[in-house]
Amino acid sequence: MQTFQTGQKSPLSNLTPSTMLTLSARVTGPAAEYDLMVFGLDAEGKLSDDRYMVFFNQPRSPEGAVSMSSGARGEKTFTLDLARLPPSVRRLSLAATVDNGSFGQIDHAEITLGAGGTPLATYRVTGRDFQAQRAVMLFDVYFKDVWRVGAVGQGFNGGLEALVKHYGGEVKDTPAGHPAPLSPAPNSAPAPTPAPTISLQKITLDKQGQSTKLSLSKAGGADPIRVNLNWDRGGGLFRAGADLDLGCMYVLNSGEGGVVQALGNSFGSERLVPYIELDKDDRTGAASDGENLVIYRPDLIHTVLIFAFIYEGTSDFTRVNGRLMLKDPRGNEITVRLSNPDVRRTFCAIARIENFGGEIQITKEERYFYGHSDCDEHYGFGFRWGPGSK
Amino acid sequence: MALSLQKGGNISLSKEAPNLRRILVGLGWDPRSTDGQAFDLDASAFLLAANGKVRGDHDFIFYNQKTSSDGSVEHTGDNLTGEGDGDDESIKVDLSRVPADIDKIAVAVTIHEAEQRRQNFGQVGGSFIRIVNDETGQELTRYDLGEDFSTETAVIFGEIYRHGSEWKFRAVGQGYTGGLGPMAKNYGVNI
Repeated sequence: MQTFQTGQKSPLSNLTPSTMLTLSARVTGPAAEYDLMVFGLDAEGKLSDDRYMVFFNQPRSPEGAVSMSSGARGEKTFTLDLARLPPSVRRLSLAATVDNGSFGQIDHAEITLGAGGTPLATYRVTGRDFQAQRAVMLFDVYFKDVWRVGAVGQGFNGGLEALVKHYGGEVKDTPAGHPAPLSPAPNSAPAPTPAPTISLQKITLDKQGQSTKLSLSKAGGADPIRVNLNWDRGGGLFRAGADLDLGCMYVLNSGEGGVVQALGNSFGSERLVPYIELDKDDRTGAASDGENLVIYRPDLIHTVLIFAFIYEGTSDFTRVNGRLMLKDPRGNEITVRLSNPDVRRTFCAIARIENFGGEIQITKEERYFYGHSDCDEHYGFGFRWGPGSK
Repeated sequence: MALSLQKGGNISLSKEAPNLRRILVGLGWDPRSTDGQAFDLDASAFLLAANGKVRGDHDFIFYNQKTSSDGSVEHTGDNLTGEGDGDDESIKVDLSRVPADIDKIAVAVTIHEAEQRRQNFGQVGGSFIRIVNDETGQELTRYDLGEDFSTETAVIFGEIYRHGSEWKFRAVGQGYTGGLGPMAKNYGVNI
């Protein structure tokens, strides 16, 4: 792990090949609260779209490429998915502000850049690095020919207002002394929100990467999404029937993440976090309705990756006619037929469900892996994996 | 088209721009937009004899000695903040008038009082140094100081040196600890 000093910069590729990053930060000092935020800026370093200020009032950007979650003792973690950023956002700038006091008084601020759960770089500053600044830019992830990172450590005595002005925006009245929604620079008209279009046709996502959108914009729109995995019994006199398992990796908007699957008896819950439940473990395919997983609160999710894997009894999804159907309450259906071209890759990431500010996007993945951990590595959830059985 | 140089890379100024007579070394940076002490970058040149040292103090061209005794090298003025567009400081070299006993000219960029102000190139926005054919305005080579030398406070940018009848440019791109004073001493200047 590298320790950055103020001003230090590096191409991101020197630290990690990943573009799925986390930026964790914590400021300690005499003030009751230090606010942390990430600004998504354009190539000129301007905040041309105020939806890309991610902070406690707006914990994620529209497409979810930047999101914030809270940890213990005031730590905030920003998840940055560079590949999903719109091309207009070329710089992500982590900043901290304080209402009462200055950064010259802090004990320290600590920033850790990580990928896949591994810390890559840290940057630490103390009160001696500042004077009367009430807003400081701490760490940037930015695109200049390639993605780069840099420790900034400079700020403004004028606080958040001066910081936002620096980015070309302005702060509206702040009633509670908290950052309020911002007005972007006048030359940037807000992007029109496309009217939701919902097809009631049956959809089959055939090609990898194809996606469909389900809108949650209906009032109280939190209708469950149902996922069904089914397969034929197979087996024979001397062979156990094939056992396929359905499950998902999830990250909620709150930042909580985990896995729902029969393995390890992590069946989830309808009424408690993560509001995702696996109904049963059909170990033979004998149950006519296979295995079902329900996402009860799609409005609370950030990303859910639906997967199936062969627990035992076969090494080939096609031999047992593995099929997955995903259904929302309005009749939208997505079906995926499983086929693994490589017998050793018996773990299939089937579909990715993402919540883009109330619009649920489902993308067919159908990528085959050796198991949970290399799948996780590909998608960058960063869970810890150990051997398990049921 | 400007060449982007790897450290230690060579370009022949005459080949890149035949009949090159006058070159300009341009240094630019953005004024500080945050609160704190200004960034004051300085461009300097050392006229070096075959032994790699100056012949005398008059061969050190910087903000306090803007012209070489023979008039071949001229610093156009000290900029204390980076205010202004394009090159904020420049050094003009008339290659045809460089004395025969000068083998090469080393070009350096330093941050004034970097240690006291706790500054480095990475903190300075938009900083670059470049070499331009002063007769045509064509840029021959350029360094992005902020990206390539982020943790440095002084950099020997490169050397313009004689090679037979032509002049070549060697990108040295070497950070230097201690700033302009120790660097000048190292080149044989009495500071």
